[in-house]
Amino acid sequence: MVTVDELPEMKKFIEWFENRHEYARKWKEETGGKVVGYFCTYMPEEIMYAAGILPVRILGSHEPESITRPYLHDMYCPFCHDTLAQALEGRYDYLDGVTIAQSCLHMRQSYFSFADRVENIEWSYYLPFPHGVNNPHAADFAKHEFEKFKKSVEEWTGKEIADGDLDKAIEVYNKSRELLTKMFELRKADEPVLTGLHAMYIVVSSQVVDKAEHNQVLESFLEKIENGEVENDREIGTRLMLIGSEDYDAELFRLIEYGMSYPATFVFEENCTGSRYFWGLVEGDGDRLMALAKRYVYRVPCPAKDWARGDFFGRRRFQFIEDVIKKWNVEAVIIAQMKFCDPHELDIPSLREMLDKMGVRHLHLELDLTQPVGQFRTRVEAMIEAMGEEDLFI
Amino acid sequence: MVTVQESEYWRWPEKIWVDENKNWQDAEVISCGIDLGSVSTQAVMMADGELYAYANIRTGTSSTASAEKAVNAVLEKIGDMTRENIHYIVGTGYGRVSIPFANKTITEIACHGRGAVYVYGNTVRTILDMGGQDLKAIKVDSRGKVINFLMNDKCAAGTGRGIEVVCDMLSVPITEVGELSLKVDEEPEPVSTTCVVFAKSEILGLIRKGWSKEMILAAFFNAVSSRVVELLERVGVEPDFAITGGISKNVGVVKRIERKLNMKALEPKVDPQLAGAIGAALFARALYIKSKK
Repeated sequence: MVTVDELPEMKKFIEWFENRHEYARKWKEETGGKVVGYFCTYMPEEIMYAAGILPVRILGSHEPESITRPYLHDMYCPFCHDTLAQALEGRYDYLDGVTIAQSCLHMRQSYFSFADRVENIEWSYYLPFPHGVNNPHAADFAKHEFEKFKKSVEEWTGKEIADGDLDKAIEVYNKSRELLTKMFELRKADEPVLTGLHAMYIVVSSQVVDKAEHNQVLESFLEKIENGEVENDREIGTRLMLIGSEDYDAELFRLIEYGMSYPATFVFEENCTGSRYFWGLVEGDGDRLMALAKRYVYRVPCPAKDWARGDFFGRRRFQFIEDVIKKWNVEAVIIAQMKFCDPHELDIPSLREMLDKMGVRHLHLELDLTQPVGQFRTRVEAMIEAMGEEDLFI
Repeated sequence: MVTVQESEYWRWPEKIWVDENKNWQDAEVISCGIDLGSVSTQAVMMADGELYAYANIRTGTSSTASAEKAVNAVLEKIGDMTRENIHYIVGTGYGRVSIPFANKTITEIACHGRGAVYVYGNTVRTILDMGGQDLKAIKVDSRGKVINFLMNDKCAAGTGRGIEVVCDMLSVPITEVGELSLKVDEEPEPVSTTCVVFAKSEILGLIRKGWSKEMILAAFFNAVSSRVVELLERVGVEPDFAITGGISKNVGVVKRIERKLNMKALEPKVDPQLAGAIGAALFARALYIKSKK
């Protein structure tokens, strides 16, 4: 029996996550293909993948920086600053292109500065994506924009994207989604062997490497877990769910799952470095771009697109969260919101109200470029103490 | 006109105390709570759940050494007690992880909740812990069990550290600033509440304008209390209300909070700066008794 951390596949995910720039450079060298950085998980990666492009999600490094202030307002979120800082530092010097599917204004500004300031960028594309994803016409809008996006990719690469190429890309991406969903399903277990830190490494590494290669490793990894070849080496403790903005800060997961006085384990991450990235398949034959449009429009929405009022389908994200809490047996929720992220800030009061009604304890942490570890530790530990403090009283 | 000079006006009096009317050897359980805060450290010794002795000292640059120093100071004051006579030690506060000789660590949020019931009685439901570096609004049940809490984010405005800075700027000892701030005919507008550095700049401006110390302190504590009340209102204030932590001794802040909440804070039975360490010592006693069952 081995532990998850001893599996070569887990080591591979961590290596991909930590050395993502080296991976992309090597991929480019070996394939001669183009690498495109993308902001936001509303980007239809399949279209780029079908054109032989390696799409990589643009991420930050969680290191203090002071070079983005001439481009971005101080009160733009730390993720925007961090991603742009990577560009200005020259860490994305291998990218041929950069693109964004419209999500929020902060990230859009980071994208424009990125596209303008990184010398190696030869192609950039701003993809308008409907904000009203609960509007019945949203899929038509998205499909129309995807058509224009596809055309631009074809013009830039000088190669037409055939239906077969798109089918193959959809197949690879759907496979990835199925495997990642399966990985999350395994965490429903009473004694899950995977932690939130493992899940984060797995999901985020899938955003920065060739999906087909990632699928192979993930398939073998899941087989070993399903065959009972992996043992748990830690106490599960309180079953936590993480809800909020993108969160790929390993330090935060280490603190909560490995560094507190009480055991605790994340069993689900409802964020765009977790389930929001991969939940929901591309379905339907024939009109491929419409199938893609429907997947991205009807996926579990980002708070930037899931409005509190006037909805056609109701609040799909909250319905999803409620379902996960029940099925994954979640005991407490950590709402981790990127500082200055208005869409999340607007959503949190309603989210709290829903959790209160469900009787699920919750704690709000505001994420920054680096985290105040001591304060976070006190808050999370105090929440767990309040959940089971009986032992401390006579 | 205010003159600014170099001195240690921020320095609050340290205290080491023992109840001379009691003999610890009569007690079945000696429990100890250590609250290692960012500014002050308290070590409390309880004999069968009653306060017996304590030390309240300034936290130094080493958390472990500060905890050692506080415990040793209490033991020295008691005289005939040694570390071996203590049945159980609970560490709390920001530096709780740096107390190697503690049997267990518990957050200061749980400890202040439990300690407040000892300091103020079991009618307390809402506690405001005003510490050296952060603020906590805590709601508890009649046993002091935490029901809900909120903690301020990374900022020293409205905390002990912020008040220390202002004491030095105005050359007024920290033990006197509260009273002095109440000696104004009319409450001035508050200074900036968002940041202690902004507040400091504003206060410098007020000094240059020729404001009196009383007016400046009133403006500053007006700001501090507004910030605190904001946090309290987010968690919801349910009577009875009490304040723990070092700032609970500052009458200028307490009166203004009471005024804004339109609610009286309870009167403490013992020094409310000890609440965290008392809670820790009470938990230590419970944990020891349970471990023996």
